[in-house]
Amino acid sequence: MHRKPRCERKRGQERSGVEAKPGESVPCGTCTTMCPISEVRRRETQRRLHCFEMERGTEKERVPCADLSRTVKEYSRPAAGKDSTRACDLRPPDVLFKTVCYLVDEIAASPTLHPWTEVYSFVFDRLRSVRQDMIIQRVSGWECVAVLERTVRFHLYASYRLCGEPLRLYDPHINDIHLQECLSWLLECYSEGQYEHHAEFQALSLLYNLGSTRTLQRALELPERVRLSPPVQLALAVNRAYTEPNPVRLLRLAQKLDFIQACALHRHLLSCRRDLLLLYSHGHNSRNCRFPIQKLADVLSLDCSLAGQLCQAHGIQVSGDCVVFSKASFSESSCKGLQCAQMHKLVDDKQHNLSVGSIIHGIA
Amino acid sequence: MAHITINQYLQQMVEAIENREGSFCAELLSFKHPHVANPRLQLSNPEDKCQHVLEPPYDEMVAAHLRCTYAVANHDFVEAYKCQTVVVQSFLKAFQAHKEENWALAMMFAVTLDLRIFANSAEQQLQKKGKGKVGDMLEKAAEQLMSCFRVCASDNRAGIEDSKKWGMLFLVNQLFKIYFKISKLHLCKPLIRAIDSSNLKDDYSMAQRVTYKYYVGRKAMFDSDFKLAEEYCPLFQHSHRSCQRNKRLILIYLLPVKMLLGHMPTNQLLKKYDLMQFADVTKAVREGNLLLLNEALAKHETFFIRCGIFLILEKLKIITYRNLFKKVYHLLKTHQLPLDAFLVALKMMQVEEVDIDEVQCILANFIYMGHIKGYISHQHRKLVVSKQNPFPPLSSVF
Repeated sequence: MHRKPRCERKRGQERSGVEAKPGESVPCGTCTTMCPISEVRRRETQRRLHCFEMERGTEKERVPCADLSRTVKEYSRPAAGKDSTRACDLRPPDVLFKTVCYLVDEIAASPTLHPWTEVYSFVFDRLRSVRQDMIIQRVSGWECVAVLERTVRFHLYASYRLCGEPLRLYDPHINDIHLQECLSWLLECYSEGQYEHHAEFQALSLLYNLGSTRTLQRALELPERVRLSPPVQLALAVNRAYTEPNPVRLLRLAQKLDFIQACALHRHLLSCRRDLLLLYSHGHNSRNCRFPIQKLADVLSLDCSLAGQLCQAHGIQVSGDCVVFSKASFSESSCKGLQCAQMHKLVDDKQHNLSVGSIIHGIA
Repeated sequence: MAHITINQYLQQMVEAIENREGSFCAELLSFKHPHVANPRLQLSNPEDKCQHVLEPPYDEMVAAHLRCTYAVANHDFVEAYKCQTVVVQSFLKAFQAHKEENWALAMMFAVTLDLRIFANSAEQQLQKKGKGKVGDMLEKAAEQLMSCFRVCASDNRAGIEDSKKWGMLFLVNQLFKIYFKISKLHLCKPLIRAIDSSNLKDDYSMAQRVTYKYYVGRKAMFDSDFKLAEEYCPLFQHSHRSCQRNKRLILIYLLPVKMLLGHMPTNQLLKKYDLMQFADVTKAVREGNLLLLNEALAKHETFFIRCGIFLILEKLKIITYRNLFKKVYHLLKTHQLPLDAFLVALKMMQVEEVDIDEVQCILANFIYMGHIKGYISHQHRKLVVSKQNPFPPLSSVF
């Protein structure tokens, strides 16, 4: 469905070079609805409306009608001979922002639309077309930032919520590519002005790209106002624990993260727990090693039964209430049967009663 | 030479090109040469004169060069950069037409070097006015250099003697300089691959090889491949004896790498190369004094960050922990060390919120890495270390 994100990246590069061409006029959108009317009609006749876009009650008809208030411009790949710069097909920044809010409030956060994998695939595609409109019109400033912030949070949340879904419904790799692209675009926008959420997203970038020297080096070069802010300091501490490596400290610091930060870090948690078991297998390697499983579960931030399962997956012997570490028996787990999604408690606990809408809008 | 007329200058250029005197041509186009300060050559519209004397595309190249001297005389580096771009572009046209000959390489070195320098100055000038995006100019200059690189790298027809491939390493080094400046290190990889697979790689000039190794070493450092970094950090003795500045630059990167591998610099060396910023860091690591290390890192933070070595120096914390723990061992003089003793040591060093679980984790890591020989007994809350050489020298561990 959404393969070849390369095109988008190429445009990403163009983005940095655009200002240099004076004389060339930048297209300015005039479309006031979420979807240009020509596209609505076209997709209606081609019967390519998404079920979230159909007039309620007509879904079952042979040619379902479009609900104009719910139809959103879909992403279409740039191709030779296709003019994607027609003003009537482009949405100006304020309409783009409204579109994003609609996607977040009425689709992503909707209690009635499911499965969420379908919600994801719809929102994913429509957000991508929002970005495309922004790129063509060279939107910058707060509108661009507001759109990207929500997009990044959406992809972060999805990376957590859909973790473990079958590959055909959710591909973490593709989600990652789009997330990284939006994140670096967003951080680039931040460098051109002062924005309220700069520190928050810098921290998310550090947590999501745990241990990446490039991200760390960038963070060090930030203005002090951002670098010394509490979220960035916490994210840096997590990174330090990772490079040391001190997984015990890392998992402890992870308790202090808020929900969306935990989502960003979540993809590293399994390997972090594996590191901990590897270190302990070497460190406690002795014939009469008896390590209480409760203690181990504590430092792993798991409950006892999951900690036991994780040990066994790594070839570590569990006898009764104790773990017998031995460097010879540690094995890389294939982790079949034991999935990351089963160990989501650390992140889950933080969601409390946060709604999906407030998560993506960043209203804590 | 300094005050020749425009006609004399053009005549010299014509003859140099006809006789294929690469290095003389290079001088006539280089901003290292005094002719650029000659006001009689600093012309805003030299096109007609050049067309009159020179063949295309050389006329265009020389005209752009003269306009560039004019721009530089006016301190307009943005304009100078634009002119120099034209110089490189027209040079490239001529260069591509040279079949099986490489006399123009010296010229390429001169014009591409100036291109990078002007891109740099132009960017600074724009920054001062608060215009332009950081890295924009340099990125475009890199594109130009890449087109030169492609011409050189694809010269498969000529024999070794006349090959344009002799220009590759120079360009790679210039590109490295840009990529490091705009922190796009990932772009270095294909260049490194191109040089590594080249059969000329050991035959380039010593100066070029040292520069190359310097950057590959630095890249290895950013990738945390310290063994490779040490290997590549250009052979200090190979860089020119008289060039104190280059040696200092190399040391800035070599020192942290060496320190991570357990080799501490002497104060004498630090003094000689004006690198006293490292003095407290070295002392702290050697003594296992985490407090002093944090202090020293904080004090020279700006310098270390600017050099891009702050993250690597932070990794010295591990070695400092190790040295601190070794001290505990020496103080207690036993092979069964209570874990609490390490906890006390860490708390003394004001490590935040540390507890016995973290002590175990840090120790487990040392045992895993081979820094400590022994095992942890959780039941007895003790670290049991080997009777022989429980803290092997760092240099033997890596």
